[in-house]
Amino acid sequence: MSKKEIFTGIIVLTFICVLSGYLLAQVYKTTKPKIEEIKAEQEEKLNKEIFPEGEKFEEKEINGVKYISVLDSEGKEIGKIFEVKSFGYGGDIYFKVGVDNEMKIKKIKIKEHNETPGLGAKIKDEKFLNQFTGKTKEEIYLKKDKAEGKIDAITGATISSRAIVDGVRKLLEKIENGE
Amino acid sequence: MELENFWRKLKMENKRLIDFKVFLNGIWRENPILFIMLGLCPTLAVSGSVRDALGMGIAVIFVLTGSNFVVSLIRKIVPNHVRIPVFIVVIATFVTITDYILAAYSPQIHKNLGVYLPLIVVNCIILGRAEGFASKNNVFNSILDGLGMGIGFTLIIFIISSVREILGNGTFMGRNIFGSNFEPFLIMIMPPGAFFVIGFLIALKQKIEKGSKKC
Repeated sequence: MSKKEIFTGIIVLTFICVLSGYLLAQVYKTTKPKIEEIKAEQEEKLNKEIFPEGEKFEEKEINGVKYISVLDSEGKEIGKIFEVKSFGYGGDIYFKVGVDNEMKIKKIKIKEHNETPGLGAKIKDEKFLNQFTGKTKEEIYLKKDKAEGKIDAITGATISSRAIVDGVRKLLEKIENGE
Repeated sequence: MELENFWRKLKMENKRLIDFKVFLNGIWRENPILFIMLGLCPTLAVSGSVRDALGMGIAVIFVLTGSNFVVSLIRKIVPNHVRIPVFIVVIATFVTITDYILAAYSPQIHKNLGVYLPLIVVNCIILGRAEGFASKNNVFNSILDGLGMGIGFTLIIFIISSVREILGNGTFMGRNIFGSNFEPFLIMIMPPGAFFVIGFLIALKQKIEKGSKKC
């Protein structure tokens, strides 16, 4: 390889990299506000799905734990929404847990996950998530893991199911030990 | 041997500016999944449900056509020894642009594709076609090749995912088709199911081609 060849190689590669970097920066700049808007919208939609009767959602923090305080139309707190991160089969699963004032589960919604489509991805189905509604800490185990457990795992996706169950239970334990 | 002859034939025909055989070639004869056997990893991973498979297919068509276009455009100014890094930069740029645009304007598809969208970067069909076709052919044929290969990929992944979703989950496009008494073959929706279906499809393609040639 002659010196000239090496030189042109460097020039071309540098040029292409700079060009694609510039292009990406432009696309990023134009799409970013839109993406953030959609994210905020989805966040609000999720909150509203967990607490349809909630009027106002305020972000609060206790001992470094962030949560969303849900207020009804009269300004009374009717529950809290926590964000939980749990390790599933395909990486981290982010989900939101709505808890009412008696520390019972109101509703769970999956925010982000990378579970296997068709198997683990079923954790976001209502059929699985609705099992949690009204359950207390002692009942949140998979049926096959513990006799008191009241949650049916998804067929073929035990690890994903267990990730949600463990995440929810740990959250409730944390809350009980004084937030 | 057959492949070599085919390339020689293609090179001879290549004097023509636009060759529609290139387009059909990707769909059937040299189908990326059934003949070149590239991109099997995303094929196995996303063919569990029809909706995800279609989303993946459309993203691949877009990225493949775009990267083929750019690669054949710059093929004469890129020195041979830096071509692979250049192709990878071009492909990664296209995938990232697709990622942003989908996230901004079609969040539902973006959410369904999830991790598989960035993974198109390492989908070997894209690099394979950039190296094997676009870097040796003119712009029009390269676009045709990208479209053909992309559509061929989408078609096969659609067939695989239909079989897997119907048998493995009892649904099609998320809609229940068998009623509640149907006990799904769970294995079809798990990775082995994909291997079964791909194997049968490859055998079927061989059978059809051999049959038509009478050899």
